[in-house]
Amino acid sequence: MRKNTTVIAGSLAAFLLAGSVSARAEEVLRFATWDSDESLAIQQAIAKKFEEKHPGVKVQVEPYADGYDQKLVAAFGAGSPPDVMYMWNFPQYYTSLMPLDDLIARDAAEIKPDDIPQGLMNTTRVEGKTYGMPSGFTTQVVFYNKDMFKAAGVEEPKEGWTWDDLRAKAAKFRDKDNKVYGFAVDAKPDPYDFEQFLWSNGTKYISDDGKTIDGYMNSDAAAEVLDMFGDMARKEEAATLHLGDDTSGDTLFKGGKIAMFQSAMWSKAGIDAAGFGYGVAPLPKFGDKPAHSALGVSAMSIAKDAKQPDLAWEFVKFFSSPEAVAMRTNDLPVRTSVAEEKGMTSDPVYKPFFDILATSDIETHAFLKNRNWGKVQDNLARAIEATMIDQGNAKAHLDDAVKRSQRFLK
Amino acid sequence: MTIAATAPAVVQKRRSAFSRHLTAYLFISPWILGFLFFTLGPLLFSLTMSFHDWPVVGERTFVGFDNYRTMLLEDPQFWESLWITVKFAAIYVPFNIVMSFLIALMLHHATFASGFFRTAFYLPSVISGVALVTIWSWIYSREYGLLNFMLSLVGVDGPNWLGDPGLAIVAIIIASLWGFGGTMLILLTGLKAIPKELYEAATVSGVPGWAQMLFITLPMLGPMLLFTFITSIIAAFQQLTIALLMTKGGPLGSTYFFAMYIYDNAFKYFDMGYAAAGSWVMFLIVLVLSLLVMRWSSAWVYYEGEVKGGDRNA
Repeated sequence: MRKNTTVIAGSLAAFLLAGSVSARAEEVLRFATWDSDESLAIQQAIAKKFEEKHPGVKVQVEPYADGYDQKLVAAFGAGSPPDVMYMWNFPQYYTSLMPLDDLIARDAAEIKPDDIPQGLMNTTRVEGKTYGMPSGFTTQVVFYNKDMFKAAGVEEPKEGWTWDDLRAKAAKFRDKDNKVYGFAVDAKPDPYDFEQFLWSNGTKYISDDGKTIDGYMNSDAAAEVLDMFGDMARKEEAATLHLGDDTSGDTLFKGGKIAMFQSAMWSKAGIDAAGFGYGVAPLPKFGDKPAHSALGVSAMSIAKDAKQPDLAWEFVKFFSSPEAVAMRTNDLPVRTSVAEEKGMTSDPVYKPFFDILATSDIETHAFLKNRNWGKVQDNLARAIEATMIDQGNAKAHLDDAVKRSQRFLK
Repeated sequence: MTIAATAPAVVQKRRSAFSRHLTAYLFISPWILGFLFFTLGPLLFSLTMSFHDWPVVGERTFVGFDNYRTMLLEDPQFWESLWITVKFAAIYVPFNIVMSFLIALMLHHATFASGFFRTAFYLPSVISGVALVTIWSWIYSREYGLLNFMLSLVGVDGPNWLGDPGLAIVAIIIASLWGFGGTMLILLTGLKAIPKELYEAATVSGVPGWAQMLFITLPMLGPMLLFTFITSIIAAFQQLTIALLMTKGGPLGSTYFFAMYIYDNAFKYFDMGYAAAGSWVMFLIVLVLSLLVMRWSSAWVYYEGEVKGGDRNA
């Protein structure tokens, strides 16, 4: 309560003094984040550190949580965007964001851009310009329950395993009476993450010039991926998530109802707390094609009309500095040096996250290629869901999605 | 000269009339100001928006009727979601009114614990949308839901209520009907307002119960029924909360209501102009439906002291 009062008093003071020439009591920097709970606490701690280093600066952390996109767009619409914000939807906002390339080049000695993997930087670029600095990231992996593997006498996954391997293992866990499955497939996956399976099978949602989806989104390779998941559901190798039921894969995995669970860093803290032995395997490959992962990146952007652009840039730089990056335990360090220093690149739990990062810098997420992707994506999501309900028939559903989406590509 | 002589008196009269009215206007001014600033203002503003390409971030451009043209001619989602809403309304509205009427009738005649039942039936209406959705999600859950558990007791293997494209809309209609308390309360008030003498006179004259219902209760309730009819139609067309939270428009878009289509255009695609155009289409549809109902109602709604069948122009 007292903390709140100071924040309010601080912002009030800043507001009152904003117009005057006299020295300000405090400079307030507004920072919007989509995180909550523990991740939010970490960011508040980083912001505190920044305040210590910059006396007279107050960072006002604004956690928009679930309604992040709605609240951010409202703030922009009302002409009072936060100075610094988490950003993922660059194509939607980049005209209102500050390009950072010149600043990065200017402060290269301090930032050491080579320490940040290229794949991560790629997610913040629109039309060749950089609009965000990565501060944390995650790739996708498969968590598996070691206790269940032991009890069932199934060999644990190995590096370089394939979807066929996963399916063979999963089939051995099915227990009808106890509602136990080997794996879980999602009828409503986030299409952003789902594209990794198409990449891994040698295709993508949309051409690199962002103009063609026919022959990409509905290619045979894409249909093969969807049909495979549908088939896994039909043969009961996997439970189907989000088909009229909101039970999450996290809940099933933590409850010992599925033996393997494909997810990312955001599931790890919960699994740690569940208290059983678990291992982390890389994403399976399709045959001998290399596996690619979606990149979930928390990037920091600055509003074009930020009142204190220099201070905002200092803050963004600090968020991706080794000191701040090392504090983020709920996602992965964007700096290779920090990851190595913490021994994460050789730790069996973290290694798969970093290994796949190395092979995930050649593809660009679809939404960065076309401004209307959000609308196309909804048709695609429906095709995925339809395939999971039919437990197959992917080609027809994808063709339909392509047909319905053509008008958005003009 | 006469004008000059009478003028002050008129002014005084006017002034007193004005000051008398001023008090009244002051009393209703909170509503009037609220209406002007928070209803009429945004309404007209959204009309302007609907003629623009209006992204939240970036340039606005005037596009004339383009939004409306695209919506009506090129966007299959518009027709699909409109059709879902019409289906929903066609089932929800009559059920809502008939159910409310029957329960109101029972409560009206209840001799035992009527206060308790009135509260019990009205209670769901005061529950906020989110809580209502949470409760019904539990009831409908396939594996752990109350409904399927009860079905299993009588040996029925319950369906996947929210996961089946054919059933999800039924599930939403049932959940929506649960909030019938408001309509019920209006009809109950209407029933209580019907003079007892009418029934007494009818009973004395040997008019049977069903005829009393047909010739006394229903006609006397006419204005109330009309009101609930129109508000139910409006509520049906604006259905958003339950679908948004319980099914997210799925499965396979089978519960993608028109209001959700507007919501997505605005807050998911940030296409404010297109969304505003959608709102205006909805407004026009509801307006036309309401006018049709009003016109039709003159055949069956009787207002106090009104005489029908004679010379209407008299």
